[in-house]
Amino acid sequence: MSAPADRGARRAARLLQWYPRSWRARYGAEFAELLLAEFAEQPQNWRRSFDVASHGLLARLADAGLMSRRQPPERPLATAGCALAAFGALAVAMLAQLATGWQWVSPGSSYVTGATLVMTLAAGCIGLIGLCAAVPVIWQVLLAVGRRNGRVMRPAGIAVGCGVALAFGAKHFQNSWPGTGGTGAEHGLVPGGMAAFGWASTLSVTSFWAHPGLLGRFPAAELAWMVLSPVVGIALAGAVVITVRRLTLPQPLVGYLAGLARGAWWASAAFAAGAAMWMLGRSSAAGLFRPGLVDGAELVIMMLALAVALLASLSLRGVGPPSLRRKGGVKTTSAGVKKM
Amino acid sequence: MPGANSPSNSDPPDGGSLVTFGRYAGPATLILASLADGAKHGYALTKDIEQFAGVRLAPGTLYEALSRLEGQGLIEALASEDRRRPYQLTAAGAEALRVHLADQRRVADVGLRRLTRSWGPA
Repeated sequence: MSAPADRGARRAARLLQWYPRSWRARYGAEFAELLLAEFAEQPQNWRRSFDVASHGLLARLADAGLMSRRQPPERPLATAGCALAAFGALAVAMLAQLATGWQWVSPGSSYVTGATLVMTLAAGCIGLIGLCAAVPVIWQVLLAVGRRNGRVMRPAGIAVGCGVALAFGAKHFQNSWPGTGGTGAEHGLVPGGMAAFGWASTLSVTSFWAHPGLLGRFPAAELAWMVLSPVVGIALAGAVVITVRRLTLPQPLVGYLAGLARGAWWASAAFAAGAAMWMLGRSSAAGLFRPGLVDGAELVIMMLALAVALLASLSLRGVGPPSLRRKGGVKTTSAGVKKM
Repeated sequence: MPGANSPSNSDPPDGGSLVTFGRYAGPATLILASLADGAKHGYALTKDIEQFAGVRLAPGTLYEALSRLEGQGLIEALASEDRRRPYQLTAAGAEALRVHLADQRRVADVGLRRLTRSWGPA
């Protein structure tokens, strides 16, 4: 191949990367040929590059089940699950802060008390729904493992490894912090141990990242946990999404999961409403009950996750049996870590 | 979750209408019109459409419209020995194009008649 042709092929290959793998498998070769012909006629054209990039991104959204009902339902289900899991992780970080504060003193503000009550109930619902969804999916994974389906076994194995690492890590760091509930004090809505576990599992969600000088005083192990735990969390979410996308779920189970996803969405929306109520009562809150910038940023990301879950749900419209188709602050821990 | 009342998870029912293509209705019409006189691959489609309509479809737009047309069964890909894959109209595609162009002609006729009546002949 001549040098200009080689350059053109590399450019075409780079532009093709905007598109998802499944799209490239079907249209990649012919699309690359079209691009090469276009390059020969018009070597530079930023409108063309923008057109390819924007349509590639749209194809990726469609591939994730966000823009099209032409995808298998496992895809929007996995995307909705992932978005709701991201919401749940941030919800745990937010609620852990309030629950830990309540271990020591009651909020003293009807706004915060009401908001914490709403958020706790909503989080309980999300957890219960998550459990109801996880059990049959795990069963399907076990069936796939029994059939020695390597395409499912690999991501499922990674997911299990990441989940175990996160659980052990959170348990380990939970016990290092008597200030987060490990004292045995049992006040408030959430058991102390559970609040401490939630806090430790979301230790990376903190405004201390904006204060490197203070971060430098943290023990090395905690710093490593703060850096590694979100990476492992993202790997866990990615592995779960890939696993679910590679499963071929029975139709009744897809309907059941779609129904659960709808329920989880509404519970998440209720949690977000509670969080917004907490933010609105900011002036009457003190200590750990006082929302900070990081909490505001969490709420924004949670709303984005809700929007993604909603888009995915629109691709799941009508999936399932008829019965499921509905009409229509500052607190410093003993280790010095605080969430602001 | 909102929006749980749709009949199925399949492609939206279209009845052969290009209206369901939304903002891709225009490119889809041009592609079908180009394929009406025989199979063409991507670049040949681009050049033909540019010639008869004065519009150059960008590659991303062209292939989004092609994939939608193929998904609706209005066109089909032919086997090819090289990397350029030609597409041809299906019977459903020919009928959809006929209906769509007839609708457009009706609108054009009404508009031209009214223009002539109010503004005089061109």
